[in-house]
Amino acid sequence: MSGQNIWDKLQNVDRRVFYWILFVALTVPFLSPIGLPITITPSSQAFYDGIKTIEKGEVVVLSINSGVSAWGDCLPAMVASVHKVYDQGGKLIVWSIGYTDVDITWAKIKEKLPDVFSKWKEGEDYVYFGYSPPQETNVALLRDNIRAIYPKDVRGVATDQIPLMKDINGANKIKFVLSSDTGDAQMYYVRQWKNGPVNYEKTEKPPTVAELGIAMNKSGDMAYFLSGDLFGLVAGSRGAAELEALTGYKGDATITMDSISVSHILLVLAIILTNISMFATRGNKK
Amino acid sequence: MIGNIAVAYPTDPLAIAGLWIALFLMLAIYSYPLWKENPVYRFAEHTFIAAALAIGIIVNLTSLMNTAVTPLMSGNLLMIIPILLGFCMYFLLVPKQRWVSRYPIAILVGSSLGLGIASNPLPSIVNQIISTVTPPKAGTAVWAMFPGAPTGDWFSFAFVAIGCLCATTYFLLTYEHIGPVKPVTIAGRYFIMLALGAYFGNTVLFRFSMLAERGKYLLQVLGLVPL
Repeated sequence: MSGQNIWDKLQNVDRRVFYWILFVALTVPFLSPIGLPITITPSSQAFYDGIKTIEKGEVVVLSINSGVSAWGDCLPAMVASVHKVYDQGGKLIVWSIGYTDVDITWAKIKEKLPDVFSKWKEGEDYVYFGYSPPQETNVALLRDNIRAIYPKDVRGVATDQIPLMKDINGANKIKFVLSSDTGDAQMYYVRQWKNGPVNYEKTEKPPTVAELGIAMNKSGDMAYFLSGDLFGLVAGSRGAAELEALTGYKGDATITMDSISVSHILLVLAIILTNISMFATRGNKK
Repeated sequence: MIGNIAVAYPTDPLAIAGLWIALFLMLAIYSYPLWKENPVYRFAEHTFIAAALAIGIIVNLTSLMNTAVTPLMSGNLLMIIPILLGFCMYFLLVPKQRWVSRYPIAILVGSSLGLGIASNPLPSIVNQIISTVTPPKAGTAVWAMFPGAPTGDWFSFAFVAIGCLCATTYFLLTYEHIGPVKPVTIAGRYFIMLALGAYFGNTVLFRFSMLAERGKYLLQVLGLVPL
């Protein structure tokens, strides 16, 4: 060990040291925000342009298929989207395909938007149905018969008695599906709703789907955005920060982006240093 | 601007206790990567699994009651079929009668497969091919790297087209990759590595986002940043 130079030592640093540096570096921007600029990507712009077309009284489904662990990526985009639906005069149906902790996420969205939910009336302007099992067959059934999956909302009110659901029992009166996913439930909607035998009553076109997903899935989702199966794609904290910039509701994602940018700079520096040390010591090992 | 405003720090002792218990459990979980495995970490891990399981059971039972049991009690006798099929799944736990569980599994797999076969080709094959071979509309910019260019549509189109051909050639294994095919397959390998690199980069971004969220939570509970 005594014969080790600085490059050898650098390669043998305990990984926990890096974890600690990373954890501390991530928290600093929350205390002193840097305010790095955020540019808008075409997929987020397309999402924003889409939800801007919501007319008064039109109904949008928010499908929360992401859990509490993905709040950093998914929650800010959902909050900004719900606010935009409210601003446009739209109505909202909320449910989840397969996430048992959806009640906590929905409570958090409501907590983040007190001004919206103090004015919106449950049952008239929005309805929350909660959990259904994670099967594509459920999404196919929801397209034609919402009451078969959700005979009542989470309050226990029969779906038939909910004013918002009076004339709605399928996808034909839904304008958009905003699907927030950590997996691929958005594709259930693309396959069963957008490409299924259903026409939106106003335009006679199928309801279109947008993804509010985690950054990890962006590469896969982008193929469906480019092919037109998703009308918009808001991916990760970065996408949510772009949406917050577009809607003007600066929130959690905008603040988090500083932290994530710092972490990326740190990671790039670590990769560069590790590579330099690898090349610097390669000859010694021979 | 009224969206996404900060929530006031709770004054209710129970709510405050909840925040601190969550913080303790979070730090207990992080003690594993930041220090080493220890009893506090295991306690938090077991608590998480137990809580997640309990919530899962309650939520799924509620869903079952709402969608099947209550309608059955109200006279919809057809609901006996899914309930019986669901019950049959538990025969997985009885080795000698395990064959019974194959019927609900077969129906589940069969229905999902049927739905997939009917609806998957359009978005996953047809639309993807159309999207790949459709050139950008006339008048768009050649390359986003040029100053003032609004989009990189043509560059993206060429990149995807060439990448698609090269990557597909890489997986054509019915003949040896020699001669003029060799550079194409090598290029295909690099395109695949680029794609996997993008996937990995996005995965890292997501993990950092989760970590940043936890870092923020730590500061929020300590009252250093608003909730």
